[in-house]
Amino acid sequence: MDLLTGLFTTAFLAGGVLALAALGEVLAERVGVVNLGVEGLMALGALTAIATVASFPSPTVGFLAALAVGALFGMLFAFATVILRANQVLCGLALTLMGNGIASTIGRAYSGMPARAVFEGIEVPLLSHIPIFGKAFFSQNILVYLIYIILPVALSIIMFRTRHGLNLRAVGENPAAADAAGIPVGLIRFAYVTAGSALAAGAGAYLTLAFVPSWSDGVVAGRGWIAVALVIFAGYRPIPAVLSGLLFGFITAIGFVGQARGWPVAPAFLSMLPYLGTMAFIIVPVLAWQRMRRIMAAPAAIGMPYYRDVR
Amino acid sequence: MAASWRLQRLPSASPGIAFAARAAAIVLALTFAGIVLALTGANPLELGYEVIDASFGSSFGLEDLGVLVIPLILTGLSVAVAQQIGAWNIGAEGQFYAGAFCAAAVGLFLPWPPAVILPLMFVAGIFGGAAWILIPTLARAYGNVNELITTLLLNFVAILLVFYVSTNAWRDRQANSATRRLSAEIPEFWGSIHWGLPIAIIVALAIAALLAFSRWGYEVRLVGSNPSAAKYAGMPVRRHLITVMLLSGAIAGLAGTLEIAGTVHRLQGGISNNYGYLGIMVAVLARSSAVGVIFSAALMAFILNSGIILQTQGLTTSAVLAITGLILFLTAIGDELAHYRLARDKA
Repeated sequence: MDLLTGLFTTAFLAGGVLALAALGEVLAERVGVVNLGVEGLMALGALTAIATVASFPSPTVGFLAALAVGALFGMLFAFATVILRANQVLCGLALTLMGNGIASTIGRAYSGMPARAVFEGIEVPLLSHIPIFGKAFFSQNILVYLIYIILPVALSIIMFRTRHGLNLRAVGENPAAADAAGIPVGLIRFAYVTAGSALAAGAGAYLTLAFVPSWSDGVVAGRGWIAVALVIFAGYRPIPAVLSGLLFGFITAIGFVGQARGWPVAPAFLSMLPYLGTMAFIIVPVLAWQRMRRIMAAPAAIGMPYYRDVR
Repeated sequence: MAASWRLQRLPSASPGIAFAARAAAIVLALTFAGIVLALTGANPLELGYEVIDASFGSSFGLEDLGVLVIPLILTGLSVAVAQQIGAWNIGAEGQFYAGAFCAAAVGLFLPWPPAVILPLMFVAGIFGGAAWILIPTLARAYGNVNELITTLLLNFVAILLVFYVSTNAWRDRQANSATRRLSAEIPEFWGSIHWGLPIAIIVALAIAALLAFSRWGYEVRLVGSNPSAAKYAGMPVRRHLITVMLLSGAIAGLAGTLEIAGTVHRLQGGISNNYGYLGIMVAVLARSSAVGVIFSAALMAFILNSGIILQTQGLTTSAVLAITGLILFLTAIGDELAHYRLARDKA
């Protein structure tokens, strides 16, 4: 495999983790809820997946189990932040601590264990014979197609082309007006926070079933936080979220290629690239172009609980 | 006519109820942890007795607590100070490492006597912590970039940096992943408890006094509670934000300095027992009060120490992290519920 094909293949594979988690966070933030529990949800999903395939060797079942666990913890988070209206930042940090803590504690039994079943690559006929890009993209596992094509397109259509999408964006922009128009604010927030959490856990499962693929303590390594940052960078839109995930897949891939080819840079410094890159990508655009602030603006009611009687 | 009762939400929670909510959150979380332990076949009461005996039954236990509480006071203070002006410093962990890194550089490579090196280590550590939060601070002040995420991302960079130097360039030949012993150290005054403890307490009290009694403190608290009002009143909002965030980083850097100069005596990967993240918990439990931080840090030290004691029983510090997360979760809920009261409508 030549350098470019390898680079692109790894980029698509690595970017999928961030893209899926970022999509989940887009769902929550679009309805006005900041979920800072992504990192913990990913850890839970990663562990659930590896533990499930250990006794039931089917990657699909492992992935679905992770989605279910993510939805369960998502409902817990949504119950606290949407129904009881507790502080979203605190609950999110708490969810990350709980998720990381629970996953590491239970995960000791699975430490270093490779996944007993993984998502295998599927060669798409004809398309996979296109040089470089075709080989890199069209011989990936099924989740890659789901993450890069099906989910972002579907979510984009729902969000920006349907009445339901208008409603859900209204809930994130101005919940009082949405409420007055008869939109069930609490229900929509609860549903999308839960769905977003499921996707975050799914991103964790992708990590242990398709990308790494094994469990070790700290396997998520801040990818959840990078995903939260990417949502800001992507201006809270599904397709840009996926593309920025891919961009970070590239940054990760450059680090891998560097290690494999023995570049005279220590692996520790190559591992820093995604974090430093994320910093640069959320800081530089805002400082360089004032207009970016308006284009990439967050939903107006983000982070704020909605009280019907306090208007 | 019968009066009817309804729930009323007050704009701020009363401190008494908020305190009760915190106590309830801690009791609930520990009870829940006990139930989980019981389900795994352990006897929670026996373990509880063992923890209390090991913590308070001997001077060794008290020494362990005293050593653990030092970094927790300072990382908690770091988060609490930033909260005073409405900023989230989730990067105390990284600033702790950066402070330890800079202090270790001085302690390892400057050839002067310990009496000169030790003060220099403090200066270096404090600057290291402040430098580590500089970019997030400027990005927040000039571009309104969310500091919560930027401070957090730098944690990973700091941890990788310390891991790299302690396994490569600065590695001691006799050790796998640590530097040699530093040339200067903070003296101990009671068992293994060193003078870092009084230093941490004095710093917390000094900052509490500054916030409560100085003009600067008044302005900072006003900027934190209502930035637009503060701006309208002519206060330098941006300058206060920058100084407070740098101070927050500096305090976390001091925590890293005290840890390597007083407790660990060498730089190595994983020198922080998640102190930066537990500091968030310490600050939230103290409702960001600088004096309250001392007490909530003592409580966190006890919880963390319990986890360390129970490692022989198959528990890990990750289990402590999970329990801490549960306490934080219940505290957040309790804080919100503390806003409500039952009001009686006059019919």
